[in-house]
Amino acid sequence: MPAVRLRDVEVRLGRTRALAGVDLVVGAGERVAVVGSSGAGKSTLLRLLTGAVRPATGAVEVLGHDLAGLPARELRRLRARVGTVHQHLDLVGALRVVHDVNAGRLGTWPTWRAALSLLRPQGVPEVVAALAEVGLADRLYDRTDRLSGGQQQRVAVARVLLQQPDLVLADEPASALDPALTDRTMLLLRDVVERRGGALLASLHDPAVALRHCTRVVGLEQGRVVLDAPVPALTAADLAAFYGAPR
Amino acid sequence: MRGRDVARSGGPELEPSLQHPSSAPASLPAAPTRRRLLAGLGAGLGAAAAAGALAACGGRTSPVSPAADPSPAGPSAPSGGALTIGAIPDQDPEVLQRLYGLVADSMAEATGLAVTYRPVTDYAAAVSLFRTGDLDLVWFGGLTGVQARRQTPGAVVVAQRDIDEDFRSVFVVNEATGLAPSEDLTELADLRFTYGSQTSTSGFLMPASFLTEQGVDPRGFPGGPGYSGSHDATLQLVASGSYEAGVLNEQVWVARSEAGEVDPAVRLFSRTPPYHDYHWLLGPDAVERLGEDLPERLQDYFLGLSADDPDDARVLELFGAGSFVEARASDHAQIEAVGEQLGLLR
Amino acid sequence: MSAGSRAGAAAPVCAPVGAPDGAPAGGDAGPSVPRLRRSRARWAWGVGAGVLLLWSLAGAGVFSGEVLNPAGARQLARFGAGALAPDLSPDFLRLLLGSTLVTVAYAALGAGLAVAAGALGAPLLTRSSWGRRRTGRLLARGAVAVPRGLHEAVWGLLLLNVLGLDPWVGVLAIAVPYGAVTAKVFADLLDEAPRAAHDALVAAGAGRTTALLYGLWPQAAGGLLAYAFYRLECAVRSAVVLGLIGAGGLGYQLSLSFTSLRWDQVWTCVYALTAVCVAAVVAGRAVRRRIADPPAPRGGRLRRDRVLVVAGVAVPALVAWSAWYLAVSPAALVDDRAREQLALLVSAAWPPDVSGPLLVALAGAAVVTVQTSVVAVALATAGAVLLAGLTTRPAHRVAVPRALAGVLVRTALLVLRAVPPPVWALVLLFVLRPGVLPGALALGVYTLGVMGRLTGEALEELDRRPADALTALGASGAAARLYGVAPRAVGPVLALALYRWEVAVRDTVLVGLLGAGGLGALLALQLAVFDWPAVTTTLVVVVALTLAVDLVSDRARAVLR
Repeated sequence: MPAVRLRDVEVRLGRTRALAGVDLVVGAGERVAVVGSSGAGKSTLLRLLTGAVRPATGAVEVLGHDLAGLPARELRRLRARVGTVHQHLDLVGALRVVHDVNAGRLGTWPTWRAALSLLRPQGVPEVVAALAEVGLADRLYDRTDRLSGGQQQRVAVARVLLQQPDLVLADEPASALDPALTDRTMLLLRDVVERRGGALLASLHDPAVALRHCTRVVGLEQGRVVLDAPVPALTAADLAAFYGAPR
Repeated sequence: MRGRDVARSGGPELEPSLQHPSSAPASLPAAPTRRRLLAGLGAGLGAAAAAGALAACGGRTSPVSPAADPSPAGPSAPSGGALTIGAIPDQDPEVLQRLYGLVADSMAEATGLAVTYRPVTDYAAAVSLFRTGDLDLVWFGGLTGVQARRQTPGAVVVAQRDIDEDFRSVFVVNEATGLAPSEDLTELADLRFTYGSQTSTSGFLMPASFLTEQGVDPRGFPGGPGYSGSHDATLQLVASGSYEAGVLNEQVWVARSEAGEVDPAVRLFSRTPPYHDYHWLLGPDAVERLGEDLPERLQDYFLGLSADDPDDARVLELFGAGSFVEARASDHAQIEAVGEQLGLLR
Repeated sequence: MSAGSRAGAAAPVCAPVGAPDGAPAGGDAGPSVPRLRRSRARWAWGVGAGVLLLWSLAGAGVFSGEVLNPAGARQLARFGAGALAPDLSPDFLRLLLGSTLVTVAYAALGAGLAVAAGALGAPLLTRSSWGRRRTGRLLARGAVAVPRGLHEAVWGLLLLNVLGLDPWVGVLAIAVPYGAVTAKVFADLLDEAPRAAHDALVAAGAGRTTALLYGLWPQAAGGLLAYAFYRLECAVRSAVVLGLIGAGGLGYQLSLSFTSLRWDQVWTCVYALTAVCVAAVVAGRAVRRRIADPPAPRGGRLRRDRVLVVAGVAVPALVAWSAWYLAVSPAALVDDRAREQLALLVSAAWPPDVSGPLLVALAGAAVVTVQTSVVAVALATAGAVLLAGLTTRPAHRVAVPRALAGVLVRTALLVLRAVPPPVWALVLLFVLRPGVLPGALALGVYTLGVMGRLTGEALEELDRRPADALTALGASGAAARLYGVAPRAVGPVLALALYRWEVAVRDTVLVGLLGAGGLGALLALQLAVFDWPAVTTTLVVVVALTLAVDLVSDRARAVLR
């Protein structure tokens, strides 16, 4: 069962066509770098896989479930198995770090437990463990918005570590990190999917990172897949074309 | 059972005029009621307002200030001088105030003055506007009239209705109190009690005085008395049981009873002795401006209104009166004394 | 691979750290972990607020004895029935048309003058213009607290005694307190706008005005204009309250029908008022949106936004029409009669009455007023938060029933605030025993109408992405709101509640009469019997109380930040 299967997907956002005729199959264990200039449809592709964006035509299958016509309860269950690291982090700045990390468990926690945890943090040891992996265990009770951009990005990774998803979607997960931290973050995300035999889809702006951490590269241009090749067949020069033309 | 008698003997002159069309049985004669009169006049007012809005810029007058369009019916408006009239909002104010154009027209025709009616919804505002000279001739209640005279030296009492010589209030109770009609007001002392407006003669002042006479503290009821704001609100609040007892103007009580609008939960408890109430009061500025004989001219107009004349009858009906009669300042000496005693006059 | 099997799956990632569940965090096996510390100031304020609320509820008699009067349900039903069968006879509608024009004119001219006064006054109140001279700024702020501390209806009655039946009464009764509030809010908005651009321009040698125009205005314009339109909607409602004291318009008609409890007519007035408010809200919303998110230029040409151009022309035109329609004349403000009456009023009202019994009565009334306002705001805040899910316009397309429910709730809130508080007070008194509670609930219901809308707007302005991210990882709607929205909404919503508390203190003047007591009842009696020295004392107490509440809520807001 592939982790992701897209068949002839088209997405319209307002009047613009964000994705067109996309066919893509990502198998378990694959790590796919999605590359392309901004506006090429990378973020839309990732949002498509969480059900946040619906296709105008075509079928989207995630972890064996066709998203179209999936009942709300099933969709929630499925989403709990999909971890996301967003470009904008999308952390709740007003919460303490412990809660922001614990939010990774909201897909499996009943609401009462989620509410209780805000009063008295639940499962702190696991949170500490996840934070320790990103080197932030000492910031457990800080307010998230008091952290630097790079630290916040690591909190977002810690959330995914705690969530233990079968599919990780990472939208520019390393945009605010220095090279050493970028490698560490990518390794952590790889670790998550490898342990569970899952897949990783990451939009990346650095060709070197893509080549070092991924098994396959998918290139987008104006909403269409224009490159799809295994990493060993690619060089940094092949990828440079996708980053060379800023819009 | 005196109470029952009261309800039926409310003065024949009131009967047809105060029916509410909404609740009147279909078999009743289709006498032009106050509320129905509203229809015709509302149209006129609305048209006037719309016309005002569209009128050319030149010589525009405000829709809310005394200089507004003088009565269109005034035959020789400017030559006779202008008179601004007003009234305190009391019974059926929505009908009265929206229909006052009728009075203005009738008065203009009879006196040759350009009569304008200015609306006021607040008792104290009416008194203040009389003092400032914005209102020349005002239909005041007993207490507000005395207040106005104290603040405006030289004000003249012009006329009162026939029923104002023998005006009364009624105490009502909720049936849950189990009280039978009685003359003994002390039975009310332990009930949640509401008056009407704080400066209403029939809704507060005189009832409070009669309570005091029988040894009941008029401001002492459990939790303190309420001030419902109007006679109708008093009726409804006593009907709901929030207040167990209350007091209101007998004219309203009779009118609502005859229209079948009084909730069966409300029972008549007692009827006060008579006192003087409403009257027309004329300001000194108007006399100075329009001539020494103005009070007489106005008195002639009011006293000359006859129920036999169809136009006059409409005006009388509006006031729920059989006729207007002379009034003297001394008629309200009792109110003045009680007002001072209760701290309502300074 | 079902979700159910996932609970145990957390083990592997924890393995390296090796802290078993339940072991004290920060044990020697793991890295050092800080202890959870809660902010003491916030706790103190939270406990204080709770105590204040309990004390107020106790004062309202909630914990002692019966407060309900079920027998009055029939009277309440009659009021409700009027909502479904308003008086739509052509004559009454025609009457209301003229009255509506008067109300609109009062509101537009009053709000127009207020915004102008606010714009001129704001620079005198900003932190930046006073710099380190804090005393001066404090004095300037204190000066605007006086016009702000008195309700429009009180201003109306005072002005009526000076100007008589002049249209200025209604206009100024709105313009004076609104001008003061607007100046304060404008000053706050200017203080809060990012100043970096402005400072950079000044550093680059731009003149003061240029720097203001290019550096500050574009950043603050949205907030300022949105607030100006919000004031316009408030002004419509205030114009109605002024009608109650005899200034004419819709409020006058409403008040007449209310005195005789003609609910069908009262509702027609309420609906007319609602329609006017809707127009103000929709216009304000359109302008706010256009400024926040201007449409992209096409073809590289500068295009002016048609909506903004129309608004820019229509608003001044409306104000000018109002001045013409009401036929206000500046001369009336300074003529001999006004001066004479003012002198009369001042000589009657000064010196204030400071006799013992009055002061005792005022102290008691002030306590009742505070309790009333606290209960009202607590009710409104709770209601606004509970309804927040429906009052916030959804960002994504939603199912039809949900969208309908949203429209319904927002309209209901509009009606709640269109019915004047005195009407609510009487209606609630049908089903409640007399006391503080009916007045407090009446004010609460009215405030809910206002706060519901403001809360919805505050939530709409929050970044939706964090909550969306939680939904994307499978959080339920409730959990996503709890983690993604609530923590960020607490600040703005409580700030709103604190602001409305100050307004509620002022509004208690309107609902005091029916056995509720408080400063409003006292003031109404003093005004009714023309006891001017006592009126002065009471007004001083009202202003002082408003100022005190303002200071307390200012402190509380600072702690929330």
